[in-house]
Amino acid sequence: MTSPTTSDAVGEFRRLSNGDPELQAHGKYYSCSFLLDMEHHRFLVRMHKGTVEELVTDPEPLSSYDFAIRADAETWHGFCQEVPSPMCHGIWAATFRRGMRLEGDLLVLMQNLRCVTRQLELLRITGPLGGAGRDTARRDARR
Amino acid sequence: MASGRISPVTGHYVTIDVEDAEYKVFYLENGQGQPLVCQHTAGCHNHQWRGLLEDEQITGRYRVIAYDLARHGKSDPPLNQEWWKHEYRLTADHFTAFVVAFCDALELENPIFMGSSFGGNVALQLALRHPDRFKAVIPVEGADYSPGFYLDWWQHPHANAAQVCASGVWDLMAPQSPDHDRWATWFYYTQGSEAFKGDLYFYSVDHDLRHHLSEIDGERCPVIMLTGEYDYLTTPEDGRRTANAIPGAEFIEMKKIGHFPMSENYPRFAQYLNLALHHIHERTDT
Repeated sequence: MTSPTTSDAVGEFRRLSNGDPELQAHGKYYSCSFLLDMEHHRFLVRMHKGTVEELVTDPEPLSSYDFAIRADAETWHGFCQEVPSPMCHGIWAATFRRGMRLEGDLLVLMQNLRCVTRQLELLRITGPLGGAGRDTARRDARR
Repeated sequence: MASGRISPVTGHYVTIDVEDAEYKVFYLENGQGQPLVCQHTAGCHNHQWRGLLEDEQITGRYRVIAYDLARHGKSDPPLNQEWWKHEYRLTADHFTAFVVAFCDALELENPIFMGSSFGGNVALQLALRHPDRFKAVIPVEGADYSPGFYLDWWQHPHANAAQVCASGVWDLMAPQSPDHDRWATWFYYTQGSEAFKGDLYFYSVDHDLRHHLSEIDGERCPVIMLTGEYDYLTTPEDGRRTANAIPGAEFIEMKKIGHFPMSENYPRFAQYLNLALHHIHERTDT
């Protein structure tokens, strides 16, 4: 049995991102870096022309990025459900109603909003990045 | 004879005067009977009502009329003003005057007014200001006050305004709503960025009925409020609070749907709309 590790969901998120038809269709200029702060772990995503160039778990304190999306673990848990519950179902909803914080250069976020929105919805497939990927967890559950 | 599948929905223009502005207003309509006038959401246009306009269960009894507010869809900015020299900021005074002028121009008797989002908010304004002009109002995704959405991002010159407006409202829809309808709504929102921010001046700034709800007479002009559980701008809690403060008003929470119910998932919305129309019928026709 595979023990849950942070890397399972992270790897799955990277694989899904790089194979996603929407990101491939609209990501020609999707180049930026952002931090997903999920309370217990943080994830630095560097995008280059629609592809995940680098995905670092718990980056060094002085790592730089364009913008950050921060929320508590409970909000991210809701966000990463296959069908998220109301107010956890997107970064705008969670920012208005769940205390999520959008920080840094928000102009970069707005310039890439279509692709960021799509990419973060892939978390509904992987589950929270802090644990086993949802597909991995399912495989393990069947064993 | 045409061989294509031609819709019974027809389009027309009517020219109206609103305060000091002249508008040529485009509207779609279908059906016969009780007029049901429909207002789209901010930064959008009347295609949001496409499902309702072709719903034979409704159009058999109601004359459904969905107009484009000036500066939206096929309704141009004012014909008699150099509008490009001014920042567009919609006010409650102008919005309500527009709706009444439109209904007067079409000589509609006792219409029911239904609007969503800023249309829901103006429905409350109409119930307050013109209770005898409307048979009833159905504020969809409305509330007494809805701050926080009058943002510079909608028109920032360094970002793609079409995509910011469209993807910025994506979360307002429920994840359960069909992809095709959510993406159609997204697509409509790529078309209205020049009006969106000015619309939201009304939505988030000028519209504030927090101290006037008790002045609305929900018996004289029934108010049936509908709010989707995925609406993060005007939540079901906001809708319920608003309705509770209006004498005679009713509130219905809609499950598994968001801020654009008629456009993101019409079949689900229709269940709740029929309930609202039934309540209005019971209260006004019996």
